[in-house]
Amino acid sequence: MRYVKLTEEKLYDFLEKLKEYGKLYAPVKISDKFYDRKEIENVEDIAFEYVRTIMPAKKFFVPPKEKMFDIDIENGEYKENVENVEPFVLFGMHACEIVALRILDAIYMDEFADIYYASRRKAGIIIGLSCLPDEHCFCNLRRTDFVDIGFDLFLHELPDGYLIRVGSPKGHKIVDENPSLFTQVTQKDIDAFREFEEKRQKMFRCYGSFDNIRYLLELTMNDEFWDEEADKCLGCGNCTMTCPTCRCYDVQDIPSIDGKEAIRIRFWDSCQFRSHGLVAGGHNFRPTKKDRFLNRYVCKNSYFYPLGTSYCVGCGNCTYFCPAGIDFLGNLLKVRSVGEAEVKNG
Amino acid sequence: MDNVYALYKCRVLRTYELTDDVRLFLFRFENPEIAESWTFVPGQFVQLSIAGMGEVPISICSSPMRRGFFELCIKKAGRVTSKIFELKPGDIVGVRGPYGNGFPVDKFEGNDLLLIAAGIGMAPLRSVFTYALDNRWKFGNITVINSARFGKKLLFKKELEAMRDVAEAENIRIIQTVTRDPDWPGWVGRAQEHIRHANTKPEKSYVCVCGPPQIYTDVFNKLIEHGYDPRKIYVTLERRMKCGVGKCGHCIAGSSTFLKYICIDGPVFGYYDIISTPGLI
Repeated sequence: MRYVKLTEEKLYDFLEKLKEYGKLYAPVKISDKFYDRKEIENVEDIAFEYVRTIMPAKKFFVPPKEKMFDIDIENGEYKENVENVEPFVLFGMHACEIVALRILDAIYMDEFADIYYASRRKAGIIIGLSCLPDEHCFCNLRRTDFVDIGFDLFLHELPDGYLIRVGSPKGHKIVDENPSLFTQVTQKDIDAFREFEEKRQKMFRCYGSFDNIRYLLELTMNDEFWDEEADKCLGCGNCTMTCPTCRCYDVQDIPSIDGKEAIRIRFWDSCQFRSHGLVAGGHNFRPTKKDRFLNRYVCKNSYFYPLGTSYCVGCGNCTYFCPAGIDFLGNLLKVRSVGEAEVKNG
Repeated sequence: MDNVYALYKCRVLRTYELTDDVRLFLFRFENPEIAESWTFVPGQFVQLSIAGMGEVPISICSSPMRRGFFELCIKKAGRVTSKIFELKPGDIVGVRGPYGNGFPVDKFEGNDLLLIAAGIGMAPLRSVFTYALDNRWKFGNITVINSARFGKKLLFKKELEAMRDVAEAENIRIIQTVTRDPDWPGWVGRAQEHIRHANTKPEKSYVCVCGPPQIYTDVFNKLIEHGYDPRKIYVTLERRMKCGVGKCGHCIAGSSTFLKYICIDGPVFGYYDIISTPGLI
C-alpha cells in the first residue's frame, strides 16, 4: 500500500483541493448532539471529531426516494430515469461505513446489477477518516474497525497531521496531481499511527469474539427477555433508517391526476413496519411486533457470504437513535451471556 | 449497463376463468427476438407490471417447451390483481424475469414424480406437470394431487378431468380432492390423505409441494411416513417481492444462520432447508 503524509497546515488546502474532484460532502455539526453530512462551502465547518451522522452514507447511493420510470399509461411505455450523476466526494467516512458500502456494493452490483445504484457509486470518491469509538460502537466485534479496501484515500489522525493510505487508482491520481500537499511518512509518524491504533483498541465497550452470535441468537429466540425488549419497541423504524446496511425498499406507481401518466418510485421501507411482511390475500409473515423486532436481529446478525462478515457493521446507530432506548449491543451481549465485567477483560 | 427493472412488452391473447376468483392469462412477447430466446424453468416467476398500478410477482404455470408464450394463473387478491382482471385479449402489459431458482427438473429425470397442491398452489405445479407431459419419456410414474376446499375452487379441474382416462394409460394418476364439499362426486379429504393412492414408488420419487403455509408440516409427516426420501421433497414459497432480484429485501426470510432471499435463493426450497430455518414457512 502507498502511504503519504498530510501535515496539519496543509489540511484545509487539501480539503479545498478535493472540491475540484467533485461536490464535497462532509460531516458538520447541526445541533448540540447531532452531525449530518452536508455539502461544504467553507471547509472550516467540517467536524472532524464526529462519531456518527444522523443519516448514514447510504443516502448518497440509495436516496430515500427516487424515480425509477416515467410511465405512459395509455401506451404502456416505461422510460427509465437514470440520472447522469456528477462526481462527488464523501469526506470523513469511518471504517464501518466503508464496509457497509461494500456490503451494499455486493448486494446492488454483484448479481443483477442495479443501474441506479451503480451510476452513483461510480461518481463517488470515498475519503476515509480514522475515529475513536463511543459507548455504542462495537465494530471491533464485527471486525470492521479497520478497512482494507473500498476507499480512495484513508486519513489516519496523527498529532501533527494525517497518515494517508492510498486505496484506489482515483486516490493515486489525487496524490499524484497534488505533490505539494503531501510529504513522506517518517518513523515518527509510524510510531504515532501505532500509538493511535493501540489507544483506540483499548476504548471499545467490550471485546471477544462475536462469530458464534448468530447461532446463540437462533437458540435463544424463545427466551422471555425478548418479549420484554420487543415490548419496549415503538415500531418507528428509526433503527433501520439509520442503519448503514439496511436497504429494504418499497415500490409504488403514482399516477398523474388525469390518469394518463405515472411515475414509478422506490423509497426506503422498514421491516419494522407491519406492511413489510404482508402478502396478497392478507397473510402476514411477521404479524406481531415481536416477529418484526426479532427479524432485525436475525437479519443483521446473519452471515454475509460475499464479505465474510455479518450484515451488521457494529456502528451502533440503531441504539444511538432509538427513541425507546433499546440497546442492540446490550441485547446481543445478553444472548452471548457474559457479564459486562467479564467482557471487558476479553 | 442494462436496467434490470426494464420491462418486456407482452400482449394478452386469452383469458380463461378457472374459478370465480382465479383466472388464467395467456401472454405472448411482442418482440420476436425475445419471444424466441425467452425461456424459464418450472417454478420460476415473473414480475407482471400494470402501468400506473405497480408490479406483482406471479409464478409461471405453463410449460417452458412452448416458446414465445407463457401462462399466468392469477387470483384476484389485491389492488394490482384486481386491475389485472380487467385485462382483455389484445391488451399490453409489462413483464420482466424469469426470476428465482425453479424446480431442479433435471434431477427429477428418470424418477417418479409426485405433485401435491392445495388451493392456488396448483399454479406453479402445473408448470412442472405440463413440462413432464411434454417430456413424458424422461419421467416414470406421475401423480398429481390437486386439492381445494370446494369442487368449484379446484384449479385446472376441467383440464385435469379431461385427461384422466388417457392419463391412466400413460401411468399418470390424477387425484382431485376436496375437503368441505358434500356435493363433490370425486375424492374427499386433505391432500396428504391421498398420498397412499399415488402410483409413485416412494424410494424413487421426487415430490413437489405447494399450498398455504399451514399444510406443509402435515404433508411432510405423511410423506415421510409413507417412505418418501426427505432429500427429494421440494416446496415453493411465496412472498411479495418488489424487485425479484435480491435488492428490495421484502422476501428475506429465515434465521440468523440461514438467511435467504426467496426471490433469488428460492422460491423452491428443499425439505431440510425448510426444517432448519424458522420463519421460512
